Amino acid sequence: MSDTDEFGRVSRRVGQLFRGVLLASTLAGILTLAVLLVYVANDAFRPLTADPGWHLTFLLTFVLPTLGVGWWSYQRSYGTLTTGLLGIMLPTIAALYAGGLAALFIDVIPTLVWLSFVVAFAIPVGVVVALDRTERDIPFLAEITAVLAVTAGSLLFVPDLVQGLPTVPADWMVLVLTIGIPEALLLGRWTRGRWGRRAGLTTGAGIVVGSAVAGVLGTVTGVGAIPGVALALFAGVPTALYLSVVAIERPERRAGLLLPAVIVGGALVGELFVGALGFAGPESWVDWGFLTSTVQRGADPGAVGIYSGIVGTILLMFTVAAIAIPAGVGAAVYLEEYAPDTTVTRIIDVNISNLAGVPSVVYGLLGLGLFVRYGGAQTGTLLVGGATLALLVFPIVIISAREAIRAVPDSARQASYGMGATRWQTVKNVVLPRAFPGILTGTILALSRAIGETAPLLVIGAAQVFGVPDSWNSTVGAMPLQLYVWASTYASPAFYTTVLAAGIVVLLTAMLSMNSIAIYVRNHYEQR
Amino acid sequence: MSGDSSTEALTRRTQNSSRELLAKGFFFGCAALSVATTLSIIGLLTFEAAKFFSITAPLVGIDGPTATLTEFFTGSEWGLQGPNLGVMPLVAVTLMVTIGSGLIAIPLGVATALYLSEYASERARSYLKPALEVLAGVPSIIYGIFAVAYITPALDALFGVDGLFNVASACIVVGIMILPMVASVSEDAMQAVPDDLRQAGYGMGATKYDVSTGVVVPAAASGIFSSFILALSRAIGETMAVTLAGGSLAREFDPTSLSSYLSLFDPESYLEPGMTMTAAMIQLLTGDVTGGGLAYRSLFAVGLVLFVITLGMNVLSDLIARRYQEDYQ
Repeated sequence: MSDTDEFGRVSRRVGQLFRGVLLASTLAGILTLAVLLVYVANDAFRPLTADPGWHLTFLLTFVLPTLGVGWWSYQRSYGTLTTGLLGIMLPTIAALYAGGLAALFIDVIPTLVWLSFVVAFAIPVGVVVALDRTERDIPFLAEITAVLAVTAGSLLFVPDLVQGLPTVPADWMVLVLTIGIPEALLLGRWTRGRWGRRAGLTTGAGIVVGSAVAGVLGTVTGVGAIPGVALALFAGVPTALYLSVVAIERPERRAGLLLPAVIVGGALVGELFVGALGFAGPESWVDWGFLTSTVQRGADPGAVGIYSGIVGTILLMFTVAAIAIPAGVGAAVYLEEYAPDTTVTRIIDVNISNLAGVPSVVYGLLGLGLFVRYGGAQTGTLLVGGATLALLVFPIVIISAREAIRAVPDSARQASYGMGATRWQTVKNVVLPRAFPGILTGTILALSRAIGETAPLLVIGAAQVFGVPDSWNSTVGAMPLQLYVWASTYASPAFYTTVLAAGIVVLLTAMLSMNSIAIYVRNHYEQR
Repeated sequence: MSGDSSTEALTRRTQNSSRELLAKGFFFGCAALSVATTLSIIGLLTFEAAKFFSITAPLVGIDGPTATLTEFFTGSEWGLQGPNLGVMPLVAVTLMVTIGSGLIAIPLGVATALYLSEYASERARSYLKPALEVLAGVPSIIYGIFAVAYITPALDALFGVDGLFNVASACIVVGIMILPMVASVSEDAMQAVPDDLRQAGYGMGATKYDVSTGVVVPAAASGIFSSFILALSRAIGETMAVTLAGGSLAREFDPTSLSSYLSLFDPESYLEPGMTMTAAMIQLLTGDVTGGGLAYRSLFAVGLVLFVITLGMNVLSDLIARRYQEDYQ
């Protein structure tokens, strides 16, 4: 292009001006949003309400060291800096999700019910594994009938049986048993493959013992057994594993771990000094009370909280994922791997791109008519809300999954067919594993869009005052719905720059954490 | 080779065609579900809206409160309290939001696309494109709160606005929301213009400015134009931001008089509240919509109008992109 650049230099002034205008236009939207976000952050955290001494202390103990170490890591190498950033992002995001899951176990699913269903599902899974391992050639239809029969029987009888047990295990024991042990087996196998048998055993044992200790510690310290175990299993274990991977496999990047150490250390030291010197911190609207209060209405912005919205959003996301991901990926597989080039295929193709452009409020009407009016469901329940949002993200999941499947090279499929594999075997063993990172990225982005949707939930009749749901048929709320309720029905203008700002921060944090996971997955697998 | 034991072992399961058929059937079912979704949207909206109009209600076996087609399409007021069921006042405000947001998103979006496609370095693109995607990723309820809490006070300081709600703030936030759509679809079209055309322009002594405006934009015109339609259809379907920002007060609009159409272009009228079709749907939900009464039926009637308009625009955008696409092979 250098020769064309030479030719381009005739009349500079118009060209430069034009280029300047284009750049300004490009930045206009981005800067507007940035300014709005600064306003929101200022209203939500109110940094100016803190003592100047508080700012000075944290500037000295936290901000300056972090910037210094960050710059130093960047000077060493870009990889060192990213290692450090990941070292602080991973525990933070993992802790957020651990907190969300802990909330589910505390308020929605009693641990005993959870245990009973895990046992009920473990039995058919065991049968499938056993059938798969067996040498004998069982007819497929007999196999599937047997599996379905065992599943139905197990789901019918086992939960009641387990819930009727005379001795009830403690909450933390159930979590260690149902999540800790599978996690230990899975990660133990992974580390054994990487670093040998001893590492595998240590990992497995460490996870089980560590989560049990966290459970006991949580009970003793008053944090609670469930948050203790959840933090250990979902935040502690991934962090420890990440640190080990860096320490063992990337010695040249070890220096990057100084960054998270300085960030955590600086925050702790700053907190210590501030407490000792008596400086008051900012009177932030985003505080523990806001995150955990279930009070939803009232004139006082200080009393309300977003807890019900958070739990509702988590439950809705699980429901949406359970419905939309299998269906969307299945449709993508059909269109990319099976579909003949016929008119029917073309109709499906055009139809999907048009579905993606249907306004979200129309999906709400679909949910209202299909599920509530003619399906006989209650208005605004978890199942109806989840199914409606699943229909909404369905075309998005299909489109992104198709892109991921299309990116799998044809040579891989040909190799599989060349070895005599059938179409289903090729899909299962070649196409889906290869397309998995792409599918994961696309579905996370689709879910993160569903998190922010309000209109469909309103249309299906979600209640304006909602609690924490305890079954499929109880009414559900969500974070954006909570924001709408505060912004419209029960609000004074005083809400706009107070709790609404705080709510925006919480909602955007949830979306941002999901998007950063998606971007990380994409970048991680693109490098390979 | 067919008698070979290893071949038999490899293909042992392939003979099991019920497994293959089940897999294929499942995948086809998933794909068919997408068609079923569209069909149920169309069927449901049509059927429920048919109960709303007096002319079609007998066909679906409904007696009860209905509205005539003339009332619906030529009435100058919207409100379920009286016999005022004109949809045009809602369509008019929707049109205002579309015009206003288009005035923001179209120039900025095309300029952004041109900058990204022709001027920006690879490095600048890698930062700017994700940043633009963020604009589209922020939920619309948040844009609505931005409009009421921050943009309306700013407009008040500049022009003097009464109250919390006005159409202008809705136009601004919706314009920001649809900007990335204009930018990314237009940029794709500009990127598809072959380099030969640019080189030919430079060969004739044209500057980069000449090539950008005289070669790239005309060559990508069909794609750019289809991006406008696509983005404006998003603006029409936008719900939460316009509900919060525009307020829920229906305007009067007489579709039979010319002066009311001119008022759509009057800047003063943008500083007043107004209710779009989508906002009206949200407002209807405060009534009883489960029992199938008039509120429920008018919800679907408005929804049908909205669906037909947005679907029509999407199809039109697709047609323009295909039909008028220059073939540079």
